[in-house]
Amino acid sequence: MSESSVTISVSVNGSRMSQTVPARLTLAELLRDRLGLTGTKVSCGMQVCGVCTVLVDGAPVSACASLAADANGLEVLTIEGVSEPGSLHPIQEAFIKEFALQCGFCTPGFVMMALALLAENSEPDRGDIVRYLDGNICRCTGYEPIIRAVQAAAAEVHP
Amino acid sequence: MRVLPPFTLHRPTTIDDVVELVSWDDLPYVGGTELLLAMRAGLLNPRSLIDLKGVEGLDRIEAADDAVTVGATVTHARAAGDAGVRRALPLLVDVLGEVGNPRVRAAGTLAGNLCFAEPKSDIIPFLIALDASVTLASTNGERRTSVSDFILGPYFTSRDQGEVLTTIEVPVRPGRDMTYVKYQVMERPTVGVAAVRAVDDGTMRVVVGAAGEVPVVIDVDASDPDADSVASEAAERLEPVDDLTGSADYKRHVTAVYVRRALSRLERR
Repeated sequence: MSESSVTISVSVNGSRMSQTVPARLTLAELLRDRLGLTGTKVSCGMQVCGVCTVLVDGAPVSACASLAADANGLEVLTIEGVSEPGSLHPIQEAFIKEFALQCGFCTPGFVMMALALLAENSEPDRGDIVRYLDGNICRCTGYEPIIRAVQAAAAEVHP
Repeated sequence: MRVLPPFTLHRPTTIDDVVELVSWDDLPYVGGTELLLAMRAGLLNPRSLIDLKGVEGLDRIEAADDAVTVGATVTHARAAGDAGVRRALPLLVDVLGEVGNPRVRAAGTLAGNLCFAEPKSDIIPFLIALDASVTLASTNGERRTSVSDFILGPYFTSRDQGEVLTTIEVPVRPGRDMTYVKYQVMERPTVGVAAVRAVDDGTMRVVVGAAGEVPVVIDVDASDPDADSVASEAAERLEPVDDLTGSADYKRHVTAVYVRRALSRLERR
């Protein structure tokens, strides 16, 4: 089977969608440009900054460096799907409480990474958190509030 | 941010279909952690990508008594999370954890890491130290070669245009001490040293990665190797270039330091 267009069926935040897309379309372009889900940001284009992080079948993925075609048949969770409308996930609450965001540009990526971390390790120590978030960049906070937020969220989710 | 150039995406299901397709213009693709970046930067513009993720058999991980075998589509994350791999080669799990970040590890593969032949790879010197080998398939059949022979230079392997890497095999031998030490302050290491020693006869392989254009491989016969002479040999044989991780002189110096450090860590086990 060879095609420069592919037809994909992806579950995004619980809703199944089907589209024919160019093979070269990235997952970030699908989410942002075709589905209007602009909570997922783009910046470095090289998987070093983390602002494009989404979860695909629970695994953290750089959406800007991932083909939309690779999400075919899988479940994608973006920042928009992390909580029900009108409420916040404990991780998001913790980020606010710990002042772990200023401009907010990196925040969706950090929240998605924190979600993935806590799903894998419900009681991370500081070293685990620092290592796991090593691939996400923040220009505003100096990172300490982010680390505190993840620690607080872990304690909240698994007291 | 620029868009990817247009290409055709093949999604074959058998290795026979793959080898019919692969060429310099039709590239094997799994995680694309370097490939897609190179395409976006305009360095590569293949006519097609051949997605290996649906090919039967390439996703296997086998941890037998004498070898750990991974297929071409096995990601760093899957290999590191495999209980059999952890039992057989716990240090490999640690080294795999050094690659990139969790997103890169979730998508990128050991096979891709080898084929990209990044001079600053962590995995390549470690696999060379363990005497790992790879299998390449083509329309002419299969050939097997050591990782040491596979890596020819920076971003340069012995893979021919019609070949696709299908399997990586890492021997597991009882009675080996091993270590991997590195110095890294930037996104890539300045120097990484892998050392593996056979406890029974003291023979050792020391591999220096990152600091030079090609890994430096030193096989030491003596049962009581002089650390200083191994360190000097490594520094002398290194082919360093000045870059952001240091000048050539600095790299020779820090290579000798880290070779001595690796050997002293082996001693202590």
